[in-house]
Amino acid sequence: MCAINSKTMFRRFVTRAAGLCAMLLAGAAQAAAPGITGPAFNLVAAPGYISQPDGASIYSWGYGCDGAPGGFAPAAIGNARCPSGTMQLPGPTLIVTEGDTVTVRLTNRLPAGAGNTSILFPGFDVRAAASAGQSGPCATAAVGLLTTEAANGCAVTYTFTARLPGTHSYYSGTQGDLQVEMGLFGALIVLPASTPAACSDARPLFTAAYNTDRGSGTPPDFRLAKAVFNNASACYDREYLFQFSEIDPRIHRQAQEQAGLACSSPIGCMAIDTEPYHAVYFLINGRSMPDIADPNYAPQYPNQPYNGNPHMHPGEMTLARIIGQGRMQHPFHEHGNHVRVLARDGNPLLTSTSKLAGPLLFTTTTSPGQTIDALFQWTAKGLNWDVYGHASGLAASGGDVDFNPVTDCDANGYYTSNPAASNFFEWCGDHRKPLESKPFGQVGSGGPVTLPDPNITALGAWYSGTPYFGPDASARAGGPSPIPPFGTIANDPGSEAGFAYMWHSHNEREITTNNIFPGGMMMMMLVDPWVFLINEAN
Amino acid sequence: MPSTDRLIRLLPLTALLMLCAATAQAQSFMVQCPAGTVLHPATVPSPNPSNYDSITRPLPRTDGKLNPTPAMANPHIKCQQLSGGDGFATMGDGTQSYLFSFGPLSGLADIVNGLPGTQQAKDFLQSNLTTSGGVLDAVKIGAPDGPTYSFNGAIGLVPDVQAVDGVVGGELTGHVDPRLIMDVGVLNGNIPAPMIAIDEGDELFLTLTNVGQVMRPDLFEQHTVHFHGYPNASAFYDGVPDASLAINVGGSFTYYYLAPEAGTYMWHCHISPPEHLQMGMVGQLYVRPRQNSATGSLRNALAAAQANDPLAKCGSSDILCSTQLPAPNTATAAVGKRYAYNDGDGSTAYDVEYPIQMMGFDPNFHFVGMTFNPESFADNKDKYFLLNGRSYPDTVTPGPLSTQASDGTPHFSQPLPTIINIPANGRALLRISDLNVTEYHTLASLGIRMHVIGFNARLLRDQDGNNMDYWTNSISLAGGESVDVILDATGLTAGQKFYLYTPQMDHLSNDAENFGGMMTEVNICGSVDPLTKVCTN
Repeated sequence: MCAINSKTMFRRFVTRAAGLCAMLLAGAAQAAAPGITGPAFNLVAAPGYISQPDGASIYSWGYGCDGAPGGFAPAAIGNARCPSGTMQLPGPTLIVTEGDTVTVRLTNRLPAGAGNTSILFPGFDVRAAASAGQSGPCATAAVGLLTTEAANGCAVTYTFTARLPGTHSYYSGTQGDLQVEMGLFGALIVLPASTPAACSDARPLFTAAYNTDRGSGTPPDFRLAKAVFNNASACYDREYLFQFSEIDPRIHRQAQEQAGLACSSPIGCMAIDTEPYHAVYFLINGRSMPDIADPNYAPQYPNQPYNGNPHMHPGEMTLARIIGQGRMQHPFHEHGNHVRVLARDGNPLLTSTSKLAGPLLFTTTTSPGQTIDALFQWTAKGLNWDVYGHASGLAASGGDVDFNPVTDCDANGYYTSNPAASNFFEWCGDHRKPLESKPFGQVGSGGPVTLPDPNITALGAWYSGTPYFGPDASARAGGPSPIPPFGTIANDPGSEAGFAYMWHSHNEREITTNNIFPGGMMMMMLVDPWVFLINEAN
Repeated sequence: MPSTDRLIRLLPLTALLMLCAATAQAQSFMVQCPAGTVLHPATVPSPNPSNYDSITRPLPRTDGKLNPTPAMANPHIKCQQLSGGDGFATMGDGTQSYLFSFGPLSGLADIVNGLPGTQQAKDFLQSNLTTSGGVLDAVKIGAPDGPTYSFNGAIGLVPDVQAVDGVVGGELTGHVDPRLIMDVGVLNGNIPAPMIAIDEGDELFLTLTNVGQVMRPDLFEQHTVHFHGYPNASAFYDGVPDASLAINVGGSFTYYYLAPEAGTYMWHCHISPPEHLQMGMVGQLYVRPRQNSATGSLRNALAAAQANDPLAKCGSSDILCSTQLPAPNTATAAVGKRYAYNDGDGSTAYDVEYPIQMMGFDPNFHFVGMTFNPESFADNKDKYFLLNGRSYPDTVTPGPLSTQASDGTPHFSQPLPTIINIPANGRALLRISDLNVTEYHTLASLGIRMHVIGFNARLLRDQDGNNMDYWTNSISLAGGESVDVILDATGLTAGQKFYLYTPQMDHLSNDAENFGGMMTEVNICGSVDPLTKVCTN
């Protein structure tokens, strides 16, 4: 009989709940960096409600579409939406191309008591004026402290030339301590006007690997572009956008209570204490764990369309577009490997010969308003055991291909000669090195360690049941009747068996949702075997 | 989100509660430390009349060979054993603070002297029996009571003859007698947790033994080890319970890694991180570079390694490599110098190194953690600001601190002072890591500039081979970050004293005492013993 007190039981309950939520979505929820395309955007600032996994429904302000957007990207995500007049958190991700003349028409549909609102586009030379076709008080734009503002019910149009390809933030330039906290922020992605030939030519192996049908179909390309900017070191294979923000619900409650105030003042009529600040919700892309693992545009989050659920294959170059959107800094810890920072606020960090000069980080600090573009890559290099579970007498099975590590590998030490192999991009130095010497399954030919008895361990929801990578290796290591792990439908041993890594704030109190662990700024990143189709079009 | 949907998702919870009843039925303490592996075979006698194998394999062996003895062990196999449980520490104002914590179950003599607890296999596996067959007193004492304690082996290597596979000498797979481990491991928690230090290319066998938390019998906490910052980590050994295994009370789990690239990493438990880290399950971990064993030109040594060792290869398009060849230079390996990274130009050379971990404790949370009350995470407010688990003035108290625990006896609790002794005209490497869970910390230097040469366990160098090091008077870190700083005592004279302190003035306090906090002293010495760190003027 288990002896558990209420606190412990609740924690276990929530832990399992997180796993179970993911279970029911497994195989469906991927991420990419979806948004709306320009270069002309019509946005509103409007009130609405967001939901959090503790059941809270929180009154917020956000940007949203005003009319149908020009289009959605990436095209491969088919269920994109941006309903007219409806706020979302974060605001729509604006996708433009370097050199575009971008226009953003913002209409203030906030409560009258909120006063004026606006948008800042840091890093851009912005001109602003009252939007055309307005009469009366709206015909003249309000002059704010930082930028031109839209009075209640009025529209203002911002115009700028898209320069600095990369990831940028946009947010309210009016009463920022209140309006940004309430949710008026979003991302602007500038795609490069041209990409280096190396992006399409230097990684043909990856193209071949994508296009190899392993029985699960050929995945579409979910990239917005082939490179962050026009440099051969900035090519990527996948991309994800992570926007970090916080919520102090006391501020939101005050705004909700005063939403009905009659008001004609440009500075608003609400009396809201934004200090002392006490955040209890810690969000990535407007959601907390485990909601963040649900798909993009999931119907249960009508005002939080974007998720955080990165997947990748070994060897792929994955771009992380990271933005600090709140008022606090967050140390975002990437399990699995270092990231290489490419650019800060869209400014490339390069040497005089255009090579990479950005730091290698295992924790990227998000700072308010600042963006980081960084590359992440994972292989099993240097573990001194073969994660594919090859061993003497168990060389390969399924879609795995055995090879001679001395003769069949590329100059960098990887097995890339056969993009159709499930073990494409295996690190050759560890090929056929077993991990365990006395296994429960079949692998066992002199490896250095003995694995623990599963009866004295707790098994995680993303644990595939063996230490090995991919369904072929899991079958070889686990044998015909492996110890059934609990909840591995989040990472099915028979079809996925990926390696899961937690990407989270390392100010660990922030991986909670209003004092409940787990929650907050946390997500699971999965490195999946090539046999597992990563389909972001959930 | 519809609440019914959420409820349906939670239904399988009942299955979990049933499973729970079947787990953790008995202890399963296993300690693993082979004397020889395929990568690092033991040195067996030659000729070999006893038919020793160079590789340790599970017992009983069926091939008629003998496993290598500890004396034959390969020096590149490193082992360490930890307890996961609880303990108490002494704060700068004298308060006893309850910990969820790791404690040492091997390398205790080194740890009590402020050194890493990681041992070569031959030392880890040394006999803990007297010549008459009884258990050494040192093993029974376990918690060292002073610097004269000298036993560095594993506490719990006595085979459990009642266990099914309890073959004498079967340390690779064998269950061991739990009694010594429990006698020593209960309430032996340290802050910071036992230090781990290895050399590039070493194989590390790290055994975590969950001894339970006697102060919290209501909990059945698992614990794990997360090797924070390890490149190309495997999910299995990453310590995240959601993505791997976590060891229950009464069991052991041996983590296995080939030491990765040199750098200042850190380690911690990854179970319920807001709770287990705040409560003290944080430790230091660093990897020393192969350049320490180079001779002659450092640049030639780096070029040779990159040409010959696939793991050291550093292609021009490899985004993960930070040790591109520097411009041609004349730096050579110097007697008495060690290096933080494989720099190829001597730019990270130092004479003496000091691991420093920044941390904060919230006394309210620790009190709640000791009692049976619900915890609040959003309200976390640290009031103790620690360097290596101590606040000033304890940071400059030599030797280990002990704390009276709930059993009324003193337990060895905080092994590491942070007294920075630098030889005049020499250099000290500060391996600074931060595992605070609530806020950013700044550490400043009075009088000696800080030379930042590494960040997040990587040399600061661009892809053209230019160093990106910089000079500053302060560094700021969040939880989960590390930085390598060199303090250069060139031109200074023995007897001078400087300070490292936090300019976040409210952190120069010990709870209600408006004095203390995150501060320590830097002494310029005539010479400094690089091992004991003792200062001679």
